[in-house]
Amino acid sequence: MSTLFRFKNYLLILGLIVFVAIMLVVSVRGLPGNPTPTQLNTPYWKNNGPFELSPERGRFAFLYSFVENHSFYLQPSLAQFTAPDVGYWKDHYVSIFPPAISFIAIPGYLIGRHFDLSQYGTFLWMSLFALCNVLLIRLIAIRLGSNAIAATIAGITFLFATPAFAYAVTIYEHHISTFFILLSIYLFIRFNSLLSILVFWIVYAFAFTVDYPNLFMMFPLAIATFFKSFFIENLHEHKVIKISFLRVLSVLAVIIPLTFLLWFNQMSYGNPLKISGTVPTILSVKANGKPNFGEENMKKKVHLTSLQIAATPQHSALNFFKPINMLNGFYILLLSPDRGVLVYTPVILFGIVGLFIANKKKQKYIPLLVGIIGFNFLLYSMWGDPYGGFAFGGRYLIPSYAILAIYLALFLTVVSKKKILLFLFFLVFIYSVSVNTIGALTSNAIPPQIQATVLSRVEHRKVNYTFMHDVNILNSNNSKSFIFQQYAKRDMTAWQFDIVITGAIIIFIFVLLLIMNKKKIQYAEKNSL
Amino acid sequence: MKFNFKSLSLEFTLSDRKIAIIKDSLEKHIKLLLFFALSMISIFCFIYYYANGLGLAFNDARSHLDIARRVVDNLKPGFAQLGSVWLPLPHLLAVVTVWNDFMWHSGLAGALQSMISYVASGIVIYLILQALGVRMIGRLAGVIVFALNMNILYMQSTAMTELLLLGSMTIAVYELIMWHKEDKMSRLLKSGFWVLLATMNRYDGWFLLGFASILIVIQAWRKHGYKAAEGAFLLFCTLAGFGIILWIIWNWVIFKDPLYFISGPYAAATQQQQIAAAGLLKTEHNWSYSFITYTYAVIYNAGMLQTVMATIGMILFWFDKKISGSLKMASIALMAPFVFNILALYLGQSVLFIQGLNGNSWFNVRYGLMMIPTVAVFAGYLVHRLKAIRYILVLLLLFVMFFSIVNKDAVTLDDAVFGASGKNVSAVSGWLHKHVSHTPGFVLISVASHDAIIFSSGLDMKRFIHEGTGMYWNLAIAHPAHWARWIVMRTYDLHDMTYRLIYKNPEFKNDYTLIHHYPFADIYEIKPQYVKYLHMKPYKEL
Repeated sequence: MSTLFRFKNYLLILGLIVFVAIMLVVSVRGLPGNPTPTQLNTPYWKNNGPFELSPERGRFAFLYSFVENHSFYLQPSLAQFTAPDVGYWKDHYVSIFPPAISFIAIPGYLIGRHFDLSQYGTFLWMSLFALCNVLLIRLIAIRLGSNAIAATIAGITFLFATPAFAYAVTIYEHHISTFFILLSIYLFIRFNSLLSILVFWIVYAFAFTVDYPNLFMMFPLAIATFFKSFFIENLHEHKVIKISFLRVLSVLAVIIPLTFLLWFNQMSYGNPLKISGTVPTILSVKANGKPNFGEENMKKKVHLTSLQIAATPQHSALNFFKPINMLNGFYILLLSPDRGVLVYTPVILFGIVGLFIANKKKQKYIPLLVGIIGFNFLLYSMWGDPYGGFAFGGRYLIPSYAILAIYLALFLTVVSKKKILLFLFFLVFIYSVSVNTIGALTSNAIPPQIQATVLSRVEHRKVNYTFMHDVNILNSNNSKSFIFQQYAKRDMTAWQFDIVITGAIIIFIFVLLLIMNKKKIQYAEKNSL
Repeated sequence: MKFNFKSLSLEFTLSDRKIAIIKDSLEKHIKLLLFFALSMISIFCFIYYYANGLGLAFNDARSHLDIARRVVDNLKPGFAQLGSVWLPLPHLLAVVTVWNDFMWHSGLAGALQSMISYVASGIVIYLILQALGVRMIGRLAGVIVFALNMNILYMQSTAMTELLLLGSMTIAVYELIMWHKEDKMSRLLKSGFWVLLATMNRYDGWFLLGFASILIVIQAWRKHGYKAAEGAFLLFCTLAGFGIILWIIWNWVIFKDPLYFISGPYAAATQQQQIAAAGLLKTEHNWSYSFITYTYAVIYNAGMLQTVMATIGMILFWFDKKISGSLKMASIALMAPFVFNILALYLGQSVLFIQGLNGNSWFNVRYGLMMIPTVAVFAGYLVHRLKAIRYILVLLLLFVMFFSIVNKDAVTLDDAVFGASGKNVSAVSGWLHKHVSHTPGFVLISVASHDAIIFSSGLDMKRFIHEGTGMYWNLAIAHPAHWARWIVMRTYDLHDMTYRLIYKNPEFKNDYTLIHHYPFADIYEIKPQYVKYLHMKPYKEL
């Protein structure tokens, strides 16, 4: 690789980092100050502020409790802040979320607190993982034969033209999960040493503590890594099979992150094997600080016959995933107006074309990456709530968007000289980035259609279940972006702020597409980095 | 083989010849292995559902067992008990073992044929895929899609007729494919035989007869001309249609009407008319709604992933230039259940409720089961075709099926337990068991309405006077107070034959007391002062 090429490449990476970082800094949601539990319970911080939904509240509440109170238990005011997604176990309020996110966010909280911006600091810190994901997509795409500019466009598409954007500006598990998945993919395709295998097992187990479904989503990677312990060599009329026990035993590295999880479970629930999601939850906290389990509702238990009891599965964490839900799940995740890929991020579907191209070129990692998409998609289509509660787009598919982005890079590489296809891509990109920027700058609290219908009836007003919900927020000149609220609001409207950000992303991509179109680009069997 | 302590690794060598031998041996014995594995799964599932009482959750399962039982154990036993409501094959097969009380009350007399059909279907799916040139992994994937399907596993454990039909139809289609491939007359005859069995089981088989006949005529005409087509058609239909002829003769002889099975009071068409009158037959004369309803039923039975895979597989199959036109033609037979069910829904001959689509409950959703072998074949074909991701596809299938198994995710079971296809008659049958077992006297009841109660009561079949008991029934209807110590019926429901025939009877009005009112039936008992006038034992003269 020539020095000039290296220099240009570094310049591109630097430009990419600076651009993505600026976009994230201006988009991350937040309010100034170091809020106390009492302040957190006000609408200013909750519904109207950065903690609009319980996933953000739950993780921040635990983080707050751990850092400020040095406790695994939530004080009643923090429990009230998180309710109804808060557990009550052995006379204590406890977090029901997997623990790792709260621990990962601690540095951001501490830095932010120093500047009297504890919440913004936490959210901004989490957005670092979104930036890392862009870089990892770029790295993997290049590794799989894509051009560097195409890979850069793909990375940006993932972050700004999918619902990943709306979850990069708050504190959710999706970007961290995606980070671990991408990191594992990179480790898998880039290295074949004992150390890389060891690191993978640590990452795999740690990803489990971030979000339990990662156990399944990374399963293809786990199998593939496990088989790295076996070597088959073809000799004359013979096959030599070698099994490296050191590699096989490296799976024991999972103990390290699992010890962390067991410790958290022990400290929170008094039982290392108690999984957070299985703790009973409360409805709210009473004025006297005692839990309200919603006794009235509990009394209305349905009486089942003995046959019905026999036909009902025993209660376990696996009950959340039922294949009978898949028909609805497929529709919701792919086509529905409230969460469908087709509505929120059609641009990522170019990645599927890229997959076909990769298949034609006989790329060997297709099964692995298709497997991850498959596990991700099937897992959440089996879930009773594929909507992801109140959410913006199909948030559960963020890891799949990332992998499709890798193949989007391949698609762009192959069609880099075909102006019509590039123009088509650009048009769809503009639509996708416009939709998702609106989401990132406003709210993730969009009800599913089924709930919006009920809410409309109860509240005697039209409740939107598409991204139009967020358009209305912009229309009322609101944005949850910290920068907008603190600085930009004086000089521009929320719509203008949105247009500036969207415009910047579109122009950036347009320039990259132009450069790509002008350059001599071809698919590389295997690029070195 | 050597172990390297320094690098902690084991190294061994396998000759290509040895690997080839293992492969060949596996290929050679795979059917035996499948037979063993499927048999084990089948037995395990039967025991599982028997142990938790779900094996007889379907109302119809209990009826099927009772029909077979009445042939050998009844006030008036005999083959006439086979009736005209259902086609006779499942009951005829069950007669062989149903005389045994355990076989009757465990449901095994009826389930046994389902279990055998399950094993046979699994192996035949493997053979169909082999005939289509699919490699081992694709064949096994097809078998997995079928054999680990929770709906199939549940239905093969019950005394229902679906698995028997599925088995006979799948084998018939396999033989038809082989006839298209080999052009041997023996294959056509074998196919005809299995179609014959299908026609004697459910009316779906009648449609298959017509469907297969058309395919046979086209193939024979294309290959050998008109005369050969005529010959093949006659040969096939003579054997395959023999059961239908017998059934018509049966109806003529027993019920004095060759089409009694269509026009009789318990015929499906008559029942559909009642449903239509209630405004619940929304699929009637509505193509798109019929299509959607049945497609949903297929998806809920076969699984969403499996159905999507099969659809893609089918498209690839149709556009595969390597596959001969005649083979493609033969494989159309796999779609017969799909066409039949949509047609039946459209014509108002069938009723199917999908929870959330056309009602709040399931009803007859098991009809979607008929497409599972088709789904299995095309899903297996897809695995074969998508070489790059074939192992991951199998892994994904297993992943979804794992959740299906741990969550007991069977829509047919839901239909039977929570939906409209099951009746929880334990209260009324429990009362009968407790109070009638040790007290002499007959129970007057309609089997058409309350067979499930008869079965669940655990009482001797000879304790019941019903429509199939000839003179007993006529006498009991005319003079209930001389024959029936108890009467079980749905009061005020004119569809209940007993109520319809005795509600104006002065003996019923004056001599009986309503002693219990249950959700599915009421129990009347004769007043104590009239007990002495009752006949308590069967009469040979009747």
